[in-house]
Amino acid sequence: MEKILKDVVLDNSDEIVRMWIEQVKKNQGGAFYQSLSDEALENTNREFANAIFEGIQKGKIAKTPLDEFAEKLINLGWPLTYLTDGMQVFRRSVVKFIIHKWEDLDFSEADNYFELGDDYFPWVLEKVDEWVDPLVNELVSEYSGSWENIVSLQRMALQELSAPLIPVMDNITIMPLIGTIDTERAKMVMESLLDGVIKHNAEVVLIDITGVPVVDTMVAHHIIQAAEAVRLIGSRCILVGIRPEIAQTIVNLGIDLGKFPTKSSLRKGFQTALELTNREIVEDTNREEEIENLIESLDRSEEE
Amino acid sequence: MRIPILKLHNYLLISIQTELDDKTAIQFQEDLLEKIHSSGATGVVIDLTSVDIVDSFIAKVLGDVVTMSDLMGAKVVLTGIQPAVAVTLIDLGIHLQDVPTALDLEQGLIKLRQELEE
Repeated sequence: MEKILKDVVLDNSDEIVRMWIEQVKKNQGGAFYQSLSDEALENTNREFANAIFEGIQKGKIAKTPLDEFAEKLINLGWPLTYLTDGMQVFRRSVVKFIIHKWEDLDFSEADNYFELGDDYFPWVLEKVDEWVDPLVNELVSEYSGSWENIVSLQRMALQELSAPLIPVMDNITIMPLIGTIDTERAKMVMESLLDGVIKHNAEVVLIDITGVPVVDTMVAHHIIQAAEAVRLIGSRCILVGIRPEIAQTIVNLGIDLGKFPTKSSLRKGFQTALELTNREIVEDTNREEEIENLIESLDRSEEE
Repeated sequence: MRIPILKLHNYLLISIQTELDDKTAIQFQEDLLEKIHSSGATGVVIDLTSVDIVDSFIAKVLGDVVTMSDLMGAKVVLTGIQPAVAVTLIDLGIHLQDVPTALDLEQGLIKLRQELEE
């Protein structure tokens, strides 16, 4: 009996698709659909309908046209609601169509014929669900799979960006922190900080918090812990990039940062770091003197 | 097992290369103080590069050794503490606040000279 039902639906696919498109169009009033041309929407709807019918016809196979269609939509950035909405409307259309045609159907020659009487409605619903549900599941899993993929890629990118360490000079290393610091990130910062200090043999590490929007007790606690750990492995830590509002929060929260030096800007911190490693910036004045001498000698020769 | 203590001019060099258990640590504390007394050393470098695990007791002993040596007139510098060890110590709340540290033996000796000059 199921086969007859299926055949009826497949034979009359044109009519069902017509019903379906009519209904789907009514639902497509959102901002996303308005940005599309009517033609594109029409084509996609038609492609969707074909994919659904092919999916029902062939049942479960490795790569259905519906999969390919879903992949295409994902790449084009269509919302998932388009697909779920379409499938829901499809279910309604098919049920409506079968109920409408019920009187004309003849099951008497079917293999496993049994009398349904007036209770045929739940049975039809069940059968239609059996075709449609696997397709819906497949579509949703396709979509969520692609989202999970994106999320994991972004998490990886975030991890790579979260704790960079720049060895600017022999024995001086800078770690610029940008963005909010949570416990997980703080752990990564500490790890990469300590490993970096050992790797680059850094005597002084500058932690730049210019890009950290908020410093609360938790963030301060993590920074202090990192600085203490750095001191234990035999290096020194300077906290730089303390903006006025951050200084105010730190004092208002009663956080004690007195144990290690702090500076307002990376420039000042770097100078301190140079002093700590017994170095200084010397401006090269010789060249200027040379030029002055040259000009003077030229003047003199002109006078003569 | 005893930890060897080497003498270099006025300094004592110790490189701990075994797992430190409680007994070894106490033995080491006694040996070091005895050696400081007998040699009249003014500086001590304890290198912990090969130490992977430090528990709270060992940390306390190390802190004590530093204070005791200070009392006997020898400055102590700890060198080569591994990142993992540092993290553990911080997590345990052991900050070794007054103990000078350095990255490696070389810088430890430089630091010791600086401290002794002051």
